Amino acid sequence: MKLDNVAVIGVGMVRFGTHRERTVIDLAREAGLIAMRDAGVVLSDIDESWVGFMDGAPMLAPRVMKEFGLTGLPVNHVESASATGLVAFREAAHAVSSGRCQVAMALGFEKMTEMIARGRAGRGVGRDSVDSVILPAAYFALWAMRRMHERGTKPEHFAAIAAKNWNHGALNPYADRQADHTVTVAEVLASPMIAVPLTAMMACPVDDGAACAILATPEIAARLQPGRPVVRVLASALQSERYATGHTFLGPVVGPATMTRDTAGQAYEEAGIGPDDIDLALVHDAFANEEIEYYELLGFCREGEGEKLVEQGATSLGGRIPFNTDGGLIARGHPGGPTGLAQIHELVTQLRGDAGARQVANARTGLAQLVGGGSVCTVSLLQRG
Amino acid sequence: MSESAPPPQRQIPIEPGFFTIPRAAGAPPRLLGSRCDNCGEHFFPRRVVCARCLAQSLSDIELGPRGTLYTYTYVHVPLFGSRRSNVEGYGVGQVDLPEGPRVQAVLSGGPGDFRIGMAMELELESLRVKDGEEVMIFRFKPVQEDRA
Repeated sequence: MKLDNVAVIGVGMVRFGTHRERTVIDLAREAGLIAMRDAGVVLSDIDESWVGFMDGAPMLAPRVMKEFGLTGLPVNHVESASATGLVAFREAAHAVSSGRCQVAMALGFEKMTEMIARGRAGRGVGRDSVDSVILPAAYFALWAMRRMHERGTKPEHFAAIAAKNWNHGALNPYADRQADHTVTVAEVLASPMIAVPLTAMMACPVDDGAACAILATPEIAARLQPGRPVVRVLASALQSERYATGHTFLGPVVGPATMTRDTAGQAYEEAGIGPDDIDLALVHDAFANEEIEYYELLGFCREGEGEKLVEQGATSLGGRIPFNTDGGLIARGHPGGPTGLAQIHELVTQLRGDAGARQVANARTGLAQLVGGGSVCTVSLLQRG
Repeated sequence: MSESAPPPQRQIPIEPGFFTIPRAAGAPPRLLGSRCDNCGEHFFPRRVVCARCLAQSLSDIELGPRGTLYTYTYVHVPLFGSRRSNVEGYGVGQVDLPEGPRVQAVLSGGPGDFRIGMAMELELESLRVKDGEEVMIFRFKPVQEDRA
């Protein structure tokens, strides 16, 4: 469905990383309060909320929302694996667009470090099953090996993407990984091998964190924040897998890769724009080789030309189409629930012109894409003005 | 079976309904799949509803044991099954069966043993013994004559 009359009026997040001393409720409260202050609202101004997390006790969504006050507002829990935060954002955007809400909140949080410690991360099918043996890293490595076979892609291409995202992360105060030196291709290649050809530095870390976005009509945005650029939501699409012969049902976390092409196609069509209109893109680089696939699947180059974009540095800050300006999942981090809302945080910061050292010049339109296990793909398009 | 002789260890699948455990020595295991009665599409694992034409009439069939390696990796993180933290690494691959399904599974062999396009065949691996029963999982290995 086409989105109409929706703007992001506030964003907030806590830096991703390991937050041993703070509960997930502490993290969620902080991100939510920052976003509400940024928007200029309190809970009584918010009509409905979508709360995204993967791992948490039943009842956690309304319990977390009580940290902001008790106003009787409807509270919904959203879970869509890695895509959770961006799916919560989509629900909030469509609720405002349809007139069901004037102001909506999307809040995401997670303590992935605790999920891992309890052995709850993974496929959700139990450990003693035919497909419990295969790590997410292995699955994305299968994409990488096939691409190397078909296209002659080198591990250096994947390493260059990882190094770029590490170096972008060093410019982002909210990034988990902020390297104190320029990360090189050689350094990424020399880090321990996880699943051939993917090394540890080509993979996202395990993170805790929280992020929040407040959405409303552009009229409310202009009233609450006169003089600040209004960031509109042009489209927010969500798709699950489509069947084709040869589909692998058992084992893959995410797939097939063409979900991203289909979902982005829907978002572009609904927004009435195309890849040439996009100034920056944030994507699911849980593993560096995914990003090269998305260059093509999102339409930024023809199929088989992703390597050229890497070689030209076209997706670095200062390049033709910067990707993962905040460091992406690899450097900004990937706690799960809040990841998509951290992408929205970065897009809104860039489109307002507030991104400082990592600002994309004249950024007007941005794209956020995530895949989520199970699996789904979601793509949102945001535009200033 | 007499009670005086120790019985041969009974083999059980890690999960029922995915593969056969042959009784005859040397017989290959097979994957348990479905064929749509309406459109003829094949699936692994078994399905109640055809993913291609959405018909609800499917027949049980056995698939494999041979296929072609579509892609693979070798995982250096020691995690395999629930009690296999001692292994140094393992292969994972996707194998195209002649009937159509692409099956993802653990591969048997070392890091240098695989190449895309090679012929693979199904085998069973013993994961552990539990309550006197041997818990089995399926995996693929390179077909021997293909390696020579």
